[in-house]
Amino acid sequence: MSPSLDYERAREYTEALEGRLVDALDGDAGVSRRAVLGSLGLAGSAALMGTGGADDGHDGGGEEHGNFGARGEFDEGELDPHEFLRTFNTGFDGQDNLTQDVFEEDGERIRYFEMTATDTTIEVAPGVEFSAWAYQGQVPGPTLRVTEGDRIRVKFTNGSRHAHTIHPHLKNLNPKMDGIPQNGPGVLEQGESFTYEWKAQPAGVHFYHCHSLPLKAHIHRGLYGSIIVDPDPERVREKPEEYCDFHESQVTPELTEELVARAKSRNHEYDENDEVQELVMIMNGFDTNFDGGNEVYAANTRAFAYGVGETDGKGNWKPGETKRPIQIDGQKPVRVYLVNAIEFDLINSFHTHSQFFDYYDHGTTLLPTHQTVDTIMQCQAQRGIIELDYSDHEPGLYMFHAHQSEFAELGWMSFFEVV
Amino acid sequence: MDDTDTERRSDGGVTVQEQPFGLPRWVVAIVPLVLLAAVLAYLFFGSPFAALATGGSALPDVTVSYTTLPNEETVLVHVTNNGPRTVTVEQVLVDEAYWSFQMSGGDRTLEPLESSTISIPYHWEPGWDLNVAMVLSDGAVIHHTIVAPAMSPGVTGEIIGTLAVVGLFVGVIPVVLGMLWLPYLRSVSDRALHAVLVFAVGVLAFLGFDALVDVEEFMESVPGGYEGPFLFALGVAGSVLVIQGISAWQESRTEGETSRLRTAYLVAVSIGLHNLAEGLAIGTAFALGRVELGAFLVVGFLVHNVTEGPAIVGPLARGRRPGIEHFAALGLIGGAPVIVGAWIGSYAFSPTLGVFFLAIGLGAILQVVWEMADLVRGDDSLASIGTPVNAGAFLFGAVFMYVTGLFIAL
Repeated sequence: MSPSLDYERAREYTEALEGRLVDALDGDAGVSRRAVLGSLGLAGSAALMGTGGADDGHDGGGEEHGNFGARGEFDEGELDPHEFLRTFNTGFDGQDNLTQDVFEEDGERIRYFEMTATDTTIEVAPGVEFSAWAYQGQVPGPTLRVTEGDRIRVKFTNGSRHAHTIHPHLKNLNPKMDGIPQNGPGVLEQGESFTYEWKAQPAGVHFYHCHSLPLKAHIHRGLYGSIIVDPDPERVREKPEEYCDFHESQVTPELTEELVARAKSRNHEYDENDEVQELVMIMNGFDTNFDGGNEVYAANTRAFAYGVGETDGKGNWKPGETKRPIQIDGQKPVRVYLVNAIEFDLINSFHTHSQFFDYYDHGTTLLPTHQTVDTIMQCQAQRGIIELDYSDHEPGLYMFHAHQSEFAELGWMSFFEVV
Repeated sequence: MDDTDTERRSDGGVTVQEQPFGLPRWVVAIVPLVLLAAVLAYLFFGSPFAALATGGSALPDVTVSYTTLPNEETVLVHVTNNGPRTVTVEQVLVDEAYWSFQMSGGDRTLEPLESSTISIPYHWEPGWDLNVAMVLSDGAVIHHTIVAPAMSPGVTGEIIGTLAVVGLFVGVIPVVLGMLWLPYLRSVSDRALHAVLVFAVGVLAFLGFDALVDVEEFMESVPGGYEGPFLFALGVAGSVLVIQGISAWQESRTEGETSRLRTAYLVAVSIGLHNLAEGLAIGTAFALGRVELGAFLVVGFLVHNVTEGPAIVGPLARGRRPGIEHFAALGLIGGAPVIVGAWIGSYAFSPTLGVFFLAIGLGAILQVVWEMADLVRGDDSLASIGTPVNAGAFLFGAVFMYVTGLFIAL
């Protein structure tokens, strides 16, 4: 078969799959506001993110040095980082365009998902497009959320021009299910399908990504997502020592009760979990010009998506259409599932302003691995859980960002708006 | 080639009819044009090459022509789209940070060959290199480093006046001073005069080479869409041919006596063109904040350019002395372009214009070197140009320019 025919077939196949995805989406055909916003941006307010936008003819104190931040707003469509933050696919429910189910089989609970890889174009900074390879047409891919001990079954179909896999960072006992080119089905060519099955263990926040070669390209182009495995309180009661740093002989009944309570707070199937505001943030970056370095950094793909719309540099700010702080209820605890998917840079980090937090490396323990810190770092594929409490803070804007200043100024810069 | 020559070499082909195919000649003349239009229409409206449509497209190509720093809070980046397709500057990075910016022209898109000024409010630090980058909608990034940023003086009435004075000292005064050697030149022997003329040729040769070096420097910033090298070739060839044409036309109208004056004017024009480019360089360096137009530099230029005077009046060392008005004109033509060049350079510099001016100047120099050689030969048809004295004089001219040039590195 000639290559051009191959590509033609690939294009048709991709379009068909994308069409299916689009049909499955709520018919929210976002009106392109770029033209309007673009002209607004030029009409004066440099339509800034970050720390402000200059109004026309305004040459007051805060503006004279200009401001970092991306110009303009994002188009509608693709993935909305604000929606992605709080979208968990449990098999019971989740995003509309992901086929998912929960059922019993041989006495085990199966969490079933159908994922498709496609080639698509995403907007990574306002107006800046990036050719991505994506699970389910979105970067990051869908967040899967299950309970410890379940079986995760993912029917994966490759609709992309390139060969892909899904490799889970789980304690997976069957090498055929590892999602690598050298084992099981190997890489899946265009049009091929395979059903992966993994045991949901250990509890924690985990990572899945494509393991095709070249690995750098397949990860950085967008084939990654998170799998959150919630601890099962019953199991915690039986083996509390596996969820903390203490030896079996040191665990007291009080500690056990504490760990069980924490497990319930972490588990989406318990009411206690409803009290916590949970957010998923996948730190990623994009090399838009193929020079082996990222031009855009973000939490959840879009540069400055959780920034302010504009400010006068004097404390007055407005949320933008697509760029706005993450609103949180100050009276409820906040839990961030943080995953680092960055390519080309050795580490990434997370820093909160005016705030210290507890951090659970990999989320595999129920007692913090770092207590009272305001900065943590992660290498690629490292992840963890951050627990924040703003109950004693005054309402308002609290910044958080990577504390590699370069990353922050290239897009990984955000705010909580505590109300 | 004359007619007899043609007949002798004819291949005995058919004689040309007055009315080919019985049609009027003008009809026959436009037939190929009509057919060409038909072919073009077919290519345009039919799509015979559909099979070649692979969805490929040309790479985006945006050039930063130059940057200006009007004040400590502002960076102006002048960009041109060289590519064949429209590009959009979606974001701007300053030292690897997304930054606010505004673009002239009402939108952020650049049509092919469209230029625009990007205005960035950024508090830069004098002397600290600054990297600006334009991120296009497809993620391509155009980097530009402003080396050792310094305030651009901008253009005010005062600056215009000052540049005029500088131009006077750098261009007009040295040329006029150099021309004052004429009485002395009229008194020396032919051999000595030829040496002076060849010395002037050495000076011109150096200036020509200098222009080449400058062209190379400018060429880097000429937007690719303007095809710098071809523009340069056109400028050189064009100016050689135009000057040659004028010169030949004058020669046909006049006798040998005025050919000396004609040569003097040609030298003045070529030196004037060179000085225009020199002024351009001075004005640009000044506008970009790259140079302190101090007394030292002006003195350097003055000494450097004083040799241009004898080059202009050398041809007049024999024959009847022209009227004073000719000398005034020669001095102005040779020197005043420095002032014009400095104004253009400081106000509306473009590397494209720079290359074009330099090319014209180079072409003029080539043509004049030829004329001067004729002049030396013309005095005595048997005289060889390549005498030891002349060779030494040529070399001395070039060396003199080199040494004085060391003092005026812009």
